[in-house]
Amino acid sequence: MSSRYSQELSYGFTEQLAPPVRETRIGVCAAYCGECGDLIRDVQSGCAQLQGRKFAQSGGCQLMLAVGIVSSLTNVVVIVHSPLGCCSGFVGMGGVRKATRSSRGKSSEDFIWIHTNLDELDVVNGGEAKLREAILYAEKEYHPDAIIIANGCVPGIIGDDIDSIVSELDSRLSAKLVPIHCEGFKSRYVASGYDSAYHGVLRHLVDPKIKERSVIAEENEQRDALEKYRISRTVNIFNVGSNSNGDEVELSRIISALGLIPRVLPLNATLDDLASIGEAALNVSICATHDDYLLGHLQERFGTPYLIDTLPIGIRSTNRWLREIAKFFHLEEEAERVIKLENDALNKALEPFRAVLKGKKVYVGGGETRILTTAAFFKYDLDMELVGVKAHNVDRFVEEIAEELHDPKLHITVAAGQPAEELAVINILKPDLYCGHQGANGWVTRLGVPNIPLFGMAFNFMGYSGAFELARKAAKALKNTNFVRNISANVDLPLTKAWFERDTRLNIKETENI
Amino acid sequence: MSTFIERPKSSCALGGALTTLAGLTRVVPIVHAAGGCAAGLSGVYSGAAGYRGTGYCGGNMMPTTNIAENNVVFGGEDRLAEQIENTLFAMDGDLYVVVTGCQVEIIGDDVKSVVKNYSDKNVIAVSTPGFLGNTLKGYDAVVGALVDFVIKPQEVKDAKTINIFGVVPGHDVFYRGNLEEIRRLLGLIGVKVNTFFSISDTIDDIRGYGSAALSVVLAPNVGVAPAEKLKQKNGTPYILSEIPVGPSGTAAFLRQIGQAVNAPHSLVESVIAAEAKYYYTYLNGIVDTFSDLDFQRFAIISADGYYAHALTKFIANDLGWVPHLTTINDIPDDDEQVLYLQRFIDITSETRPIITFEQQAGQILKHVRDSWALNHNEKYYDALSPAYVIGSGIDSGLAEKLGATFLSVAFPVSNRVVMNKTIAGFRGGLTLIEDLITQLVASR
Repeated sequence: MSSRYSQELSYGFTEQLAPPVRETRIGVCAAYCGECGDLIRDVQSGCAQLQGRKFAQSGGCQLMLAVGIVSSLTNVVVIVHSPLGCCSGFVGMGGVRKATRSSRGKSSEDFIWIHTNLDELDVVNGGEAKLREAILYAEKEYHPDAIIIANGCVPGIIGDDIDSIVSELDSRLSAKLVPIHCEGFKSRYVASGYDSAYHGVLRHLVDPKIKERSVIAEENEQRDALEKYRISRTVNIFNVGSNSNGDEVELSRIISALGLIPRVLPLNATLDDLASIGEAALNVSICATHDDYLLGHLQERFGTPYLIDTLPIGIRSTNRWLREIAKFFHLEEEAERVIKLENDALNKALEPFRAVLKGKKVYVGGGETRILTTAAFFKYDLDMELVGVKAHNVDRFVEEIAEELHDPKLHITVAAGQPAEELAVINILKPDLYCGHQGANGWVTRLGVPNIPLFGMAFNFMGYSGAFELARKAAKALKNTNFVRNISANVDLPLTKAWFERDTRLNIKETENI
Repeated sequence: MSTFIERPKSSCALGGALTTLAGLTRVVPIVHAAGGCAAGLSGVYSGAAGYRGTGYCGGNMMPTTNIAENNVVFGGEDRLAEQIENTLFAMDGDLYVVVTGCQVEIIGDDVKSVVKNYSDKNVIAVSTPGFLGNTLKGYDAVVGALVDFVIKPQEVKDAKTINIFGVVPGHDVFYRGNLEEIRRLLGLIGVKVNTFFSISDTIDDIRGYGSAALSVVLAPNVGVAPAEKLKQKNGTPYILSEIPVGPSGTAAFLRQIGQAVNAPHSLVESVIAAEAKYYYTYLNGIVDTFSDLDFQRFAIISADGYYAHALTKFIANDLGWVPHLTTINDIPDDDEQVLYLQRFIDITSETRPIITFEQQAGQILKHVRDSWALNHNEKYYDALSPAYVIGSGIDSGLAEKLGATFLSVAFPVSNRVVMNKTIAGFRGGLTLIEDLITQLVASR
């Protein structure tokens, strides 16, 4: 069991120092403007992957995504090997990390990061000496379980050899050293950063412990049998940076309802959790964009089957996600009972929101799996009119989810960030409600369209309870739209009239895949 | 030679350039770098500067060349030209500023010659790779470019007009409120103030900054370079001053500037007296509670060179707290440290503060512990308590470990929202006291 999309993908890159970027490993479309059906056709033929844009705005950096994953781990120090800017957003995130962890009952330790602070001299002479000092400082001052070294563009271009420093120091320190190769310029597809992070995790932190054996044979047998049973019922749910503790609680609840044992990782995990990551009957993704690389490798290493299907948002997607898991354990009947019970209660609870939202035009922008599943919820479960979607990137993993929208004429743009394109499209489609990724909603407010966030570390969006919360949030946004009205009437956007009047498709051009 | 830094309270030069550009009115940056630099670095100051936001054209709205591996191999100049052309079509701005990231500077793109083709369209270029240094270096580069390309040289100067340098947008979280208050105060003594970054300053206004007779640099380690540049280009002299916080600092500031521009002494003194009257009339309100509940605190101040002395002086000379220890995070150079230490001569409290220069955020706790006798389980222990940490958001952990109350003032500030408030001037002192004491009564 895996995903029909990953069967033809190979894993087994862990012998290499760095993973391949997604451009070459999966093939990704980063720029498109057109109809949903055409896009899927063009992704399948490969030509959607060869598009770029003339006027580009800032998207993300794979370094930040990579570091976002590993910095969540318990008792680690992160060293950013780069000039001061890379990840300098950490300055405002210490409290967020604390809150994220403590909401899950994890230790709310101070987040410690160190910057190697590469300067002009280092660009000429190399920055390896500073990195060595930083590693020794981290070990001496903080005794972390792991020291994670993220490599920025500068050491990548000048050729610092962080791996040999790691091999030199690794056996001399109590902390595990984890190099992460995530130079921003290496990939236009920021999700490559997840592969970079998990590559480091797989190579250096997934290290199963040697089991203690008792001298009494029966005791071992009993323990082994218990463990075998536990593992045969354990489902690893792979969390992502954009999900909340509420999401994890809800998804665990649904899995538990089938009589299975849910375990949520790898974010916010301890090194011990990661060491035992192989102890599960099934690894379940909630977002292919995040973790096919990790799940593929875990299958190769531990033989754990994995499920990459949909993102459990809204009724349909959550039902589907649960059914796929149940199928693996031959618990179909149990699943149907859970689904009936949950759907009946939820549909009844959604009625007042459906009454308000029915027929309202909605537009959704953000990560590919999240927007398509969220859009399906708005369209099919809340009877809203879906006028368009925007995906950061599109790859093979969403072909089926896109087809399941049954809306091949749906307007879709593919753009990471690129608010100018998005605002031009929204300005024409005129939705009543926009639901979007962080960084987009402010611009949409200035354009004058009421909006809600697509995710939030403090909000529940996933599972059945998440569907209710999302509907509640959408309805609340429409209870008073004066904020966006006032802002758009009084604050200027930096875009020209000419830009708004030109067909957005003209901004897309053919380009290389690198 | 620089060292690694644990939890640096700064971004890189490109980050500094972008936060500076975001402080200007209707300016569009064009970032020639990898795709994530612009939004990532903009995010530092839109979040951690009291939720100041992206501004006119920040965050992911920023045009960028989004260069990748093929450009690193083959060069990114054609891509830059294409991006400039399209930005001029799509973006509405009074000035377009091409700034550069590490990648294109290392591979040696000739940005200046690309930009030369657009010089008639208000496009200028400035070299700002991250490896130039911290945020302050980015400010110096951008404001230096304004001096080079925007400010028009003028022979005739207005003796009562000054330019302010060294207030870095976002890095001074209160920058706009502070600049407005400085403008108001100096206006009272007949001085016109050019600030670059207050909401009413336009690029057109900045073109005319050559008419100022004097530049005033309000920071020890930033702003001097562009002020020096203006002196070379336009003959405008500059003086070093300090961001005025509270009565003592502001009175000294008004006297210094008044003297420099030959404002009538009696006018300056009458303004100081009137502002002091205002300050003490309002402060009088808290006197009962302050005295009854003993709101005097041991103060530990952790800030940049811009704020460290100004805050210490306010806390010690005006508020009458015990200035226990002040630590400065962005002056690593020995000679500059010696110079900066001299500022503390004017602290008038009976207790003089311990001053340390420390870049490593984690070491500040050690400095505090080393400064005070440990509790060896004595029955009677003279503790460093009640203590108050006035620092940056990163120092909240320090306060927690010391059991001290905490207020973030220096960058980064991510646990409170700052809009138009000021901590400059007499009135800013009142605001600061409000914020400090609010923390002490918040649970009542």
